[in-house]
Amino acid sequence: MKEIVTVQVGDFANFVGSHFWNFQDELLGLAGDPSADSVFKNQDLNMDVLYRTGETQQGIPSYTPRLVSINLRGSLGSMNSHGTLYTEVASTSRDVVTWTGRVSTQASEPLKRNLFLQRLYEEEEKPNINEIPGSNNDSQNEYEDKDVVECLENGVKFWTDYSKVHYHPRSLYELDGVWANIEEFNNYGIGRDSFTWAAQGEEISDRLRFFVEECDHIQGFQFIVDDSGGFSAIAAEFLENIVDEYTNIPVLLYAVQGSGSHTNLQSRKRTVSEVLHDSISFSRLSTYSKLIVPVGLPSLSKSKASRFLHIEDAKHFHSSAIYAAALHSISLPFRMVPVGPTADACSISGAVDIHGVVQMLSGQGRQNMVSVLDVAMPAPALTGGQNDLSLLEVLQPLTPQIADDVEDMLAIEHMTVHGALASEGHRASVTEVKDKVDGAFRCASTRPMFCHLSVALCPLPIPLPFPSIFGNNVGKQGELIGGQTINSSPKGSLEVHSVPMAARLRSSSVVLPLLENKLQNLQRFGIQRGAAGSELLRSWGFGMEELVEMEEMLSKMAATLRPPQLTSDSD
Amino acid sequence: MSLRVLNPNAEVLNKSAALHMTINAAKGLQDVLKTNLGPKGTIKMLVGGAGDIKLTKDGNTLLKEMQIQNPTAIMIARTAVAQDDASGDGTTSTVIFIGELMKQSERYIDEGMHPRVLVDGFDIAKRATLQFLEKFKTPVVMGGEPDKEILKMVARTTVRTKLYESLADQLTDIIVNAVLCIRKPEEDIDLFMVEIMHMRHKFDVDTRLVEGLVLDHGSRHPDMKRRAENCYILTCNVSLEYEKSEVNAGFFYSNAEQREAMVAAERRQVDERVKKIIELKNKVCSDNDSNFVVINQKGIDPPSLDLLAREGIIALRRAKRRNMERLVLACGGEAVNSVDDLTPDCLGWAGLVYEHVLGEEKYTFIENVKNPFSCTILIKGPNDHTIAQIKDAVRDGLRAVKNTLEDESVVLGAGAFEVAARQYLINEVKKTVEGRAQLGVEAFADALLVVPKTLAENSGLDTQDVIIALTGEHDKGNIVGLSLNTGEPIDPAMEGIFDNYSVKRQIINSGPVIVSQLLVVDEVIRAGRNMRKPT
Ligand SMILES: Nc1ncnc2c1ncn2[C@@H]1O[C@H](COP(=O)(O)OP(=O)(O)OP(=O)(O)O)[C@@H](O)[C@H]1O
Ligand SMILES: [Mg+2]
Repeated sequence: MKEIVTVQVGDFANFVGSHFWNFQDELLGLAGDPSADSVFKNQDLNMDVLYRTGETQQGIPSYTPRLVSINLRGSLGSMNSHGTLYTEVASTSRDVVTWTGRVSTQASEPLKRNLFLQRLYEEEEKPNINEIPGSNNDSQNEYEDKDVVECLENGVKFWTDYSKVHYHPRSLYELDGVWANIEEFNNYGIGRDSFTWAAQGEEISDRLRFFVEECDHIQGFQFIVDDSGGFSAIAAEFLENIVDEYTNIPVLLYAVQGSGSHTNLQSRKRTVSEVLHDSISFSRLSTYSKLIVPVGLPSLSKSKASRFLHIEDAKHFHSSAIYAAALHSISLPFRMVPVGPTADACSISGAVDIHGVVQMLSGQGRQNMVSVLDVAMPAPALTGGQNDLSLLEVLQPLTPQIADDVEDMLAIEHMTVHGALASEGHRASVTEVKDKVDGAFRCASTRPMFCHLSVALCPLPIPLPFPSIFGNNVGKQGELIGGQTINSSPKGSLEVHSVPMAARLRSSSVVLPLLENKLQNLQRFGIQRGAAGSELLRSWGFGMEELVEMEEMLSKMAATLRPPQLTSDSD
Repeated sequence: MSLRVLNPNAEVLNKSAALHMTINAAKGLQDVLKTNLGPKGTIKMLVGGAGDIKLTKDGNTLLKEMQIQNPTAIMIARTAVAQDDASGDGTTSTVIFIGELMKQSERYIDEGMHPRVLVDGFDIAKRATLQFLEKFKTPVVMGGEPDKEILKMVARTTVRTKLYESLADQLTDIIVNAVLCIRKPEEDIDLFMVEIMHMRHKFDVDTRLVEGLVLDHGSRHPDMKRRAENCYILTCNVSLEYEKSEVNAGFFYSNAEQREAMVAAERRQVDERVKKIIELKNKVCSDNDSNFVVINQKGIDPPSLDLLAREGIIALRRAKRRNMERLVLACGGEAVNSVDDLTPDCLGWAGLVYEHVLGEEKYTFIENVKNPFSCTILIKGPNDHTIAQIKDAVRDGLRAVKNTLEDESVVLGAGAFEVAARQYLINEVKKTVEGRAQLGVEAFADALLVVPKTLAENSGLDTQDVIIALTGEHDKGNIVGLSLNTGEPIDPAMEGIFDNYSVKRQIINSGPVIVSQLLVVDEVIRAGRNMRKPT
């Protein structure tokens, strides 16, 4: 077993993370639930890779994510930063034992738990009630579930609002002394300004070390960064430290952005500050990771990736769910219980660790360290189906600014397919999936140079606090049902219980526009004589030398991907 | 822009309105912080919306907990936090001094005085006050054997503003001893060499000094001893885990045998490293009376742990980077980066190493060391917010002792300095200044009194009586401060109330700087915001 430690930095990253851990929690629950679909029973997935076993001071065993989450103070909503598991009477005691003089207490209005959280904690307090068969009144429950789903649909403000996971008391770190509200915390400069490693870094790295020290053999860090604002500066400092301290542990980094995280997308022209932020953030983050995956479309709702989905771009609760689902799929092979090369277990195939994926995608050939994330949610059935969609055709990018139809013979891919249906609601075996994908590659007009395929039987479970984003042609098991065009409201977790998924990381020249865009913006607004943003960059603390270094790095990254005849124009 | 064309006065009106807003913001921040000041101040318990508790009597911590949005308040808060970064104390004083300077300015500006003139006066007054501080400070000689009593008095003064007396006094000794432990002649004091460690303990509020080190982790092997005496300590930064994975190797090696061979070769390399450590252990521990402890900054995987455990070696992995340095200072020897460098000389020594387990938290104590230059202050408290508050107090105390050693001087506290400086400005400096800048000097002088006034107020004393009594004594040539218990003038030296020279100097320095920025160039605030949002 090889452990992963996950790090989430920033608001949107924690939105994604919250869904990600909900999926894990759901898998854990289903594995132990006698009435659950058997496909969830023996998944051959080792959850210890992502979770740690511990015990509270009262000696109660605990199982919590290996996670360090960083966010602004006040971003945890009604959740206590110590989490919910290790609550001790002493920690809520209002006795002051250090001071005999006057005490003034300033209590914020207690934040009310929403319907979902209320129910979650109520159920926890009387844990057996649901396990007595027939004891719960189904229609009653149904009604409550509906309310819960609806309350989330209309009222998610914090990522904790829909989290069903117990976190370790060391997991949730709130930055203090950042005197800006979230709307102003929107660029690299302010992140750099309001955070000094000297003041808070030690605490953060101590928390990380707590999780790393426990690992017998850590395989890597899974890093999710909200790179739409000040958090990238904090993440970059943290990463710099990690690279220094844990030299040989690979970092797989997802740089995520919510839809419309920049002011009014197309309508207003993007400001100099925004484009420069993007360039700086991207180059700083890629400096410290082995593989960077930019995730987040400006308008997810209109993208091909949400062909079967109804997303509201304004809701982070929605978009983060798709990204989290894709991250979940990509991470499955990291915890497949490794089996001998010949004797594939019947529920999984293609185990690989973070180091392996990083090496595969960025460590060979062109050494391109930027990967594209694609997803098919839900993945179509292998055969039959109404319009016989090919798996390879339905995979659509979640990475912005990439080229559409570029043939890249040198592309390298890592693909995970899980929970795929063969046809008419019965699950495809691992071998069937492998054969089908092989077949698809053989007929495809363009083929990557290399593709690694991981397959699992277990689909994506849809937990109750999942948003209602499925189109009405998605069935209970995520199968695509034809013929319905009635415009009913989108389906949610009560109608869709699991979804077959396919996701892919692609190292390909399609990311060239993204790289060139970052490079050109940096040159045009930051470096060129009289550039509109040069003063701004100085106020962010960047000298010309540093900027030129970034420029060189970006241009090198782009150059490796350009078709040969075009590479000459860069110096 | 168009607004200006329509109404040429808009600019002017806005400016004065903006100035008043700025002043109000400064006063607002002052109001929040002033009840903190001094040993009779109010401790604040902040309860968040989700029930988490923060406890603080420290200006710095309180500011960081606040969600400040007003740009003026942010500027002041930044100044105060910078004060704390630089000298470790005086944040509350900084904020209330700035607030008071703004208040005084408001009076004069309302009477029609131009801010520029005021600021000129502030500048003169500031320089004069700094010169006065040089004369006023009490030099202390800190040679090879520093005066422990004075160090204790300074530490006690600051810690007693954060913790109740007997707790503060217990900590004072610990703090002074800790700094003296890590102090090396002719070298800067690096307070990082004092580790501050904490443990949750239901009922206790207890702190002790460990001459040696406490690590927040333990060994990871069931067979390793939990307690050992006479220990050789190997401090190292060597990977004892095997870093490439079996699984991924499949992509890169053409066949299974080749892969197996690579895996085996790599395992052998790690084992070799472990064996070298074992060899060294056997060399030095031949007598059977002594033990061997490895503390590694890198990882140690289970097979390596097995090998070490079999030889009776205690091994800890993933030690904090800073502990590499601390260990060597505490136990001797040197930190080793490669097993090729292993010699008996690298080893440090500790009389006792033992593990302490609290729930899932493990601690390793490395004690009874010879001649340590690093030590640990171990704080026990019933919950996180209590521990955090004690930690802050300990940090303040450590800084106070370090400052005293470096400043080689201290300043009489309890308001004595502020009153003396005020009288000096009014009686001596003001008359040397020409024109209206005089009023700036006066305003500055009066603003200094905010410290004794606030100390009095927080003690429930009448501020006017107190100021009259204090200034009266000073005019008679008696340097006195304020007794917070009786309201009478006292000699702070007799009571052992001393503040840091460098802290005072920085308050005097930075306060007027920020006030000038706020008063004169109120555009700065806007520019500051604009910089982040250019269009
Ligand atoms: N026993 C005492 N009697 C009178 N005044 C005292 C006494 N002890 C300390 N003081 C005064 O209290 C002031 C320091 O108070 P305090 O430590 O609360 O605030 P600060 O140092 O300005 O800010 P902070 O410690 O919050 O960063 C100094 O002016 C000091 O001279
Ligand atoms: Mg103080």
